Amino acid sequence: MRVPAFLRSSTTRFFALVFVIQLISGTALLMFVRHIIADELERTSRTLVTELHDDLVADYKQEGLSGLRRLISERLGSTPARDAAVLLDDPVGNQLAGNIADWPPIVPFDSGWQVVTLYRMGRDHPEPMGIIASKLPDGTHLLVGHVVEGDLRVRELTGEAMAAALLLAVPLALLGAIVATRVITGRVERIAETARRVGMGDLSLRVPHDAGMHDAFSDLAASINLMLGRIEALVAELRVVTDSLAHDLRSPLTRLSATVERALRETDDEAAISALERVGSEAGTLLAMLSTALQISRAEAGIGRDRFVATDIGQMIEDLAEVYGPLAEERGFLLSASGTAAGVVHRELIGQVIANLVDNALKYGRAGGTIALSARQDEGAVILSVTDDGPGIAEAQREEALRRFGRLDPARSASGAGLGLALAAAVARLHGGTITLGDNAPGLSVRLTLPQDTA
Amino acid sequence: MAQKILLIEDDRQTAGYIVKGLGEEGMTVDHADNGRDGLFHATDGGYDAIILDRMLPGMDGMAVLGALRAGGIHTPVLMLSALGAVDDRVAGLTAGSDDYLAKPFAFAELLARLRLMLRRGGVGAQPTTSLACGDLDMDLLSRKVKRGARAIDLQPREFRLLEYLLRHKEQVVTRTMLLEGVWDYHFDPGTNVIDVHVSRLRRKIDDGEAVPLIHTVRGAGYRLGTEG
Repeated sequence: MRVPAFLRSSTTRFFALVFVIQLISGTALLMFVRHIIADELERTSRTLVTELHDDLVADYKQEGLSGLRRLISERLGSTPARDAAVLLDDPVGNQLAGNIADWPPIVPFDSGWQVVTLYRMGRDHPEPMGIIASKLPDGTHLLVGHVVEGDLRVRELTGEAMAAALLLAVPLALLGAIVATRVITGRVERIAETARRVGMGDLSLRVPHDAGMHDAFSDLAASINLMLGRIEALVAELRVVTDSLAHDLRSPLTRLSATVERALRETDDEAAISALERVGSEAGTLLAMLSTALQISRAEAGIGRDRFVATDIGQMIEDLAEVYGPLAEERGFLLSASGTAAGVVHRELIGQVIANLVDNALKYGRAGGTIALSARQDEGAVILSVTDDGPGIAEAQREEALRRFGRLDPARSASGAGLGLALAAAVARLHGGTITLGDNAPGLSVRLTLPQDTA
Repeated sequence: MAQKILLIEDDRQTAGYIVKGLGEEGMTVDHADNGRDGLFHATDGGYDAIILDRMLPGMDGMAVLGALRAGGIHTPVLMLSALGAVDDRVAGLTAGSDDYLAKPFAFAELLARLRLMLRRGGVGAQPTTSLACGDLDMDLLSRKVKRGARAIDLQPREFRLLEYLLRHKEQVVTRTMLLEGVWDYHFDPGTNVIDVHVSRLRRKIDDGEAVPLIHTVRGAGYRLGTEG
């Protein structure tokens, strides 16, 4: 049998554990108290009976049978002995004294403490009583008892009180379990929430904890904060490295393109011009690759989240379709955009990604075919897709296509650095979303799923 | 009078190339190769524009800009930087620069942006209701365009493209400037999308006319003007 998911959750188990432990300890406590009360009552009755019995036997020893009969009558007539029961029988069973008519058949002639129900003379109902029976040296039998009806009533009442207390204990245990679960899960959730927001890119966050406290949670918080500090330092380092890389590579590229530009102005030689233009174009390609690689690194490091703004994504793809429309038309494609969506995104990076995807579709799609851009909203997510009807990408190669510098064409004959899809994947991750490559049957379908509110 | 430009740039080759290029365009250029000297020259005053590198020895370009603006000096500043990501550009513009150009850049782009900046700094923007170049007229209110007696029917985006070119007539306008000015795109669309848009516009404006108005400037961009 399958266990429902909520029962498998450790929160539920913890809750149940606290609840059951509280109920068991509450019940045990009540039973202990009840036992002590019952014990005390019985002990008191027993002492009363034993004292009376011992008094009577001592009197018998001193004054004989007649003295004993007199004392029994005296004792039964006095107020403190209101609950007393006594029977003195001769060896053949005739009553000599006392307030019980006959020797009860269930009581042996010589017995220790026991509780039985007997009729006293002049009473209209049998009463429970604790008794002691003994045989006197002359063969007479003495039974001394004390009515314990009140004790039994008290026992009954404590039982009822216990049941009521247990009923009250259930909601109290429930409340206790809720509070305990809240306190524990609250602390765990604070850690989880911090980890989640750090995962979303806010690397400056730390788990709140009281530095003065020393428990498992503050130790955990301290360790996590140490780790987060290290991650933040590493990302800051990466930012410095990428920025320096950008600087160190861009300066020579600036000089290179300046030199080419000057040379172009100073020559009329067609061959030289075309060679210089090729150099310029290669420098441009190099720069574009460098820029994209840097953009990917920055996106992977979560840099740029502070630039997220509420964006009309439907309008954005329409604009892009308009920008690319004439070019697509010129190359024999039909470019369309459809759907509406809005979300909090990095406008430029998403724009760059869609532009790259359209570029890819124009490069690899089937001329005469359709390139479709679409955006829609689905359960808190924005789904952006670009599809073409070219040859597509075989399923086995899709993972490679998303990798940086991953090229599907081993001869590397087609232009491009193989960074477009890698950038798309990095930007999707920056937004906390995903990218999937699918079959458009025929063609490629690239789908970005972004959480609508990533801020 | 020749326009006076202050160049603050530590890379000697880049600086030499800019000084030479701007000199050829008839401008006077002073050069400082570190932030402190640059700030000293800039506060001394008398410049029409400042070209400021972002990463400088001695004093960072952003700090120089901050000190200038704090000191009440509002000379237009074109910031040059190897840090070309959108976030960096936004940071530069927020700090008070008037324009931001990422390295590596084409000289034509630098010149085009510098000229645009100088013009903005010189003449206060006057509200205009019509633009013209030669026999091309654009009425901004009725959104009608005429070449001589011929009415030209333009798509909204073509209208904005032509408007941008008319507002910067006789100046070189680069593809990046068009992307930013007309489409508000701060990213590189990769392929020659802008060229296709301009060539469509050119067909509508210039086809069948004796004097072409839209000119391609090799290696730089486009220029709208009556002279080829």
